[in-house]
Parts: sequence; C-alpha cells; structure tokens
Amino acid sequence: MSELRQLSDVLWELPATGEMRVPARVFADRELLAAIEGDSSLKQIQNVAMLPGVTVAALAMPDVHQGYGFPVGGVAATKLPDGVVSPGGVGYDINCGVRLLALPLTSAELDGRRDSLVHELSRSIPAGTGKTTGHTATLDDVLERGPAARASDEDLERTESRGCLPGADPAAVSERAKERGAGQLGTMGSGNHFVEVQRVARIFDDEAAAAYGLRDDQVTVLIHSGSRGLGHQVCSDYVKQMDAVMRRYGIELPDRQLACAPASSPEGQAYLAAMTAAANFAWANRQAIADSVRAAVARVLGRESADGTQQVYDVAHNVAKVERYDDREVLVHRKGATRAFPAGWGEIPAAYRDVGQPVFIPGSMGTSSFVLAGEPGSLELSFGSTCHGAGRRLSRTSAKKQVSGADLRRELEAQGIVVRSPSNKGLAEEAPLAYKDVERVVDVVERAGLSRRVAQLTPVGVVKG
Amino acid sequence: MFRWIDHTAELELEIEAPTEAAVFADALAAFAELAGDGDGVPLDEEIRVLAPDRPLRLVAWLEELIYLVETEGFVPERIESLELDGDVLHARVSGRAGSPSHLVKAVTLHRLELGPDESGTWRGRVVLDV
Repeated sequence: MSELRQLSDVLWELPATGEMRVPARVFADRELLAAIEGDSSLKQIQNVAMLPGVTVAALAMPDVHQGYGFPVGGVAATKLPDGVVSPGGVGYDINCGVRLLALPLTSAELDGRRDSLVHELSRSIPAGTGKTTGHTATLDDVLERGPAARASDEDLERTESRGCLPGADPAAVSERAKERGAGQLGTMGSGNHFVEVQRVARIFDDEAAAAYGLRDDQVTVLIHSGSRGLGHQVCSDYVKQMDAVMRRYGIELPDRQLACAPASSPEGQAYLAAMTAAANFAWANRQAIADSVRAAVARVLGRESADGTQQVYDVAHNVAKVERYDDREVLVHRKGATRAFPAGWGEIPAAYRDVGQPVFIPGSMGTSSFVLAGEPGSLELSFGSTCHGAGRRLSRTSAKKQVSGADLRRELEAQGIVVRSPSNKGLAEEAPLAYKDVERVVDVVERAGLSRRVAQLTPVGVVKG
Repeated sequence: MFRWIDHTAELELEIEAPTEAAVFADALAAFAELAGDGDGVPLDEEIRVLAPDRPLRLVAWLEELIYLVETEGFVPERIESLELDGDVLHARVSGRAGSPSHLVKAVTLHRLELGPDESGTWRGRVVLDV
C-alpha cells in the first residue's frame, strides 16, 4: 500500500498507484486515522478508486469503517454518462436515513409524560420482523412518488429531494422485492435503526437553529430507518445482475461485491430506476413512521402538540444521486455519508437557504446526536458530502462480550434514558462502546469545512429496532 | 462444520465439509443459529435455487432462507432432503413459524468462495450483512 500523505489538518491522501484511477482521501484526525488503519477501510477505499469513470478521488469520511466492497462512510463520484454505477456503492439499505421532528414543548414540560410517550412510540412503530397494515397507498405509487400521497407540502419541502428521486420505475423492482416491502411501510426494522426522544442540550449556531425551528431544551424525535426488505432485495438482485455482465463491459475489479456497469448501459439504467424507487419507498417509510410519531404525540400530549410538531428535515445516507459540480454531471455514490449543501445552494428549502442544509448525525445509543449545517468546503472537497454517524468500532460479538443488554439498560436508565428494545442481545450489540466518539467525528468534518455544528441533542428515551 | 468470523459490521461464515451438499446443510445450520428458535407451528418448505456458478448458488440458498423468514415467518431447523443436480439445488427443509427480532439483511459477494481444496475438503465462505 502506498504511504498516506497529509494534505491538511484533517485530510489525508493515498496517491493513485497500481489499478487506482484517482487518489483515495480520508478525512480524519490522528486518533481516528489510527482506528481507520486498524481495519480494511483504506484497502477498500483504494479498491473504490479503481472504478471506471471515478473522478477526483475516492473519499472516506471520519466515521468510515470496513464494509464489504465499499467501506461504510465512503463517497465516490463517477462521470456521466459512461462512468459506472455500483449497487454496492449505495448498499443494501437503500436510502437509509434520518428524519428529525421538533415538538412544541420543552423537556421540562414533557417530564412526567416521557415514559408514556416512549411506550406509545414502541407500541405503534413495529420493530424487527414486525409489519404494519392499513397503509392505503399502492406500492407502485410509493415507488414512483415516495411519500407524496400521504405527506403535507410542508413535510415534503423539508425532505431531501422532496422525498422523490426522478426516474423511478416500479417495473425495474422485482416481485420478490415488492413482496418483502409489502407491509413494511412504517416499520423500523432491526440493527442500528431507532426512534429516539431527545432534548436540545446545546445550541452552537443561533441563526441556523432559529431557521431550523430549534430552541434550547426543546423536545425532538429522531427517526432512523430505510427501505427495509424491499431495498435489500433490490441491491441483492442488481449486484448479481452486474456481476454477470461486468466482464462484457471490460471491467475487472478486485472484489466481486464492487460489481458495476456503465450508468448508461441497460443494466445501469435498470438499477438506477429500481434504486430510485427503493429510495422513494424509504422516504415514504420514514413519513409513515413520522405519522405514527405524531399520532402517539396526540394520544399522550394532546392534539395541539401533534399539530405543532414540525419536521426539521429528512436526509438520506445510502444513495446515489446525479449532481453537478464544476459544470460536470456526476453520479455521487454515498454509502454511509450525507449530502451537506451549503447556504445559497439550490435544492435546499427556502427557509434554510441562508444557513445551509440541515444534516443529522446520530450518535450511538445513549450518547448525543448532532444537527449540522452544510458548509462550502463540501462542494470543494467531498462532492457536497459529510459524515453520517459515529461509525462502528467493535463487532457485534465483541460488544456483547463487553456488556450485557440488561446492564446497559440499567446504566442508561440511571442516566435518565428510558429504553424499549425487542431483545437484550440486540441492545448490547448497539452499546455506545461499540461506536467511535461522535463528537470527534463531528469535530473533524467541522475542521475540514464540510459542515458546522448547529445543535447537540441528548436522548431521554430510545425505541430500538 | 461452520464458524462465524465477526467483522465490524457484518458476519463472515466459514464452512468446511466433506461434500458440496454438506456445505449447504451447514449453511442452513448456521442461518438457523442466527435466526434463533421459531416458537410457532411446525412448517415444511420446498426450496429450489438456480445460480450461474457454485459460489453464487450458496448465496442464492441463503437468500432464499432470508426471503422465507421475512415474508412467511419460516424459521428453518433442519434439512429433510437435499439434492444437487447440475446448476440446480433442490431441498426440503423443516422448521417452525416465528418472528426473529434480529434479521439478516442480505448475502454479499465479498470474499465469496465455494469449492474443494487439494485434499478434497469442500470450503465455503460468505459474508452476511446483518
């Protein structure tokens, strides 16, 4: 492996060598870099730099960790029309993302009703294999238009891409994917997905916080979920399709999971039509969860509180999108990375245009999450992208060896955080010690000029998937 | 014989078996261990998978098990019969109805392998996104 060169305070580069078409760059401070060097992330980001059509550099965010094929926390832009699209560069949970709701009350006002609210949330939002019934929108409509049929215009305006990427084709989504997605609208799933009740613990940027409708001590609800089994199946289907045709396009790569095809090819176009549909499904899923949150708020805190619950924004962190940089059209793959457009940039709600696009960085369970705003450095350095979370540090087994779910539940409750989880095992796997320090990750993206801190949110109740 | 190798965010399954069919049986046993116990009525499933090469047939086999648990709540327990015929795998699997709280999302092609080594032992490797 070639040597890491330091480009700036928190940016490192592995120059293009061997089959790499562009350099690989990593945003990190020295401590995060040491952790990153401890797994296969650097090797994997170098492999990404070998994709045909990849431009400028393959990027790793400070929360990067080893994945399969692409690392988690990676960004790669390919030149259109003939650069490749790689389903593994989006991942199985297409448009996994986060949505933040702001309630019209303070944590002091919530106080005695907190446990009831968390209970109602856990009762009304299925986790694990749980399914929902009663969603009347047809699946094809959701795949084509996302949450449009069920969301208010205000919610749509405060959703990345208004919750709908163009070009979705339900016919490109397999029957099996549709079967897996049926009954999953409004469900959390498992793993690291959650719905968390929080309070605004600190405001760093008064102007942006005011624009986002966030005040000190305000109660917020953060939703983390994606496209569920539908998205998993779309990715599985197209990784195999591209694996079958890649050689025909003269593409050879060191990892089968990097399977890809030119974006302009029939296979590339079919994947983009299906991935887009799955992304729209994910936005409809988070919309349905947000509806359940508002209904729970109405039951516990009253109709007025539910009506006053505002959506701050909704961001995707596993997606590929066509964007323009320096007058060139590129396909930006973000796998475990978030779009972070700065003030003045298009496709940001008018209310946020002077302060930049909101970005939400969930911490690990029981620790702080951050609201960030996009900064101009993201356009110069990272194809309009920033980090997406704390980033895993320990495997699930290691986490379970170091802490029991029951102990963790007691510890969190001692800190004033009530937890609902389908299993103690699943709880231990998501223990805070399994993750990197989210504050350090956020510090790096701020120092790099990709995004800046607006507010810090601390949990008061967690409903785990 | 199978063992799990735990990575940061995914699980790698390594299988060592005397025959190719035994690799598939071990893969099912490993999957059943992950899914946990079904607590409902006994169920039987006929499974048929077709794939362009051997390693991809192992992927297709595990994908079928994910599909059955997610859409039908079928938690597999053991193989009643398993035949490999050219590119096709045909099996009858018994199990129980259940709804595991923790799901396997997908089967990746990362580090994927299946084939006999020089001594004739069959070795399979597959990485699961969990």
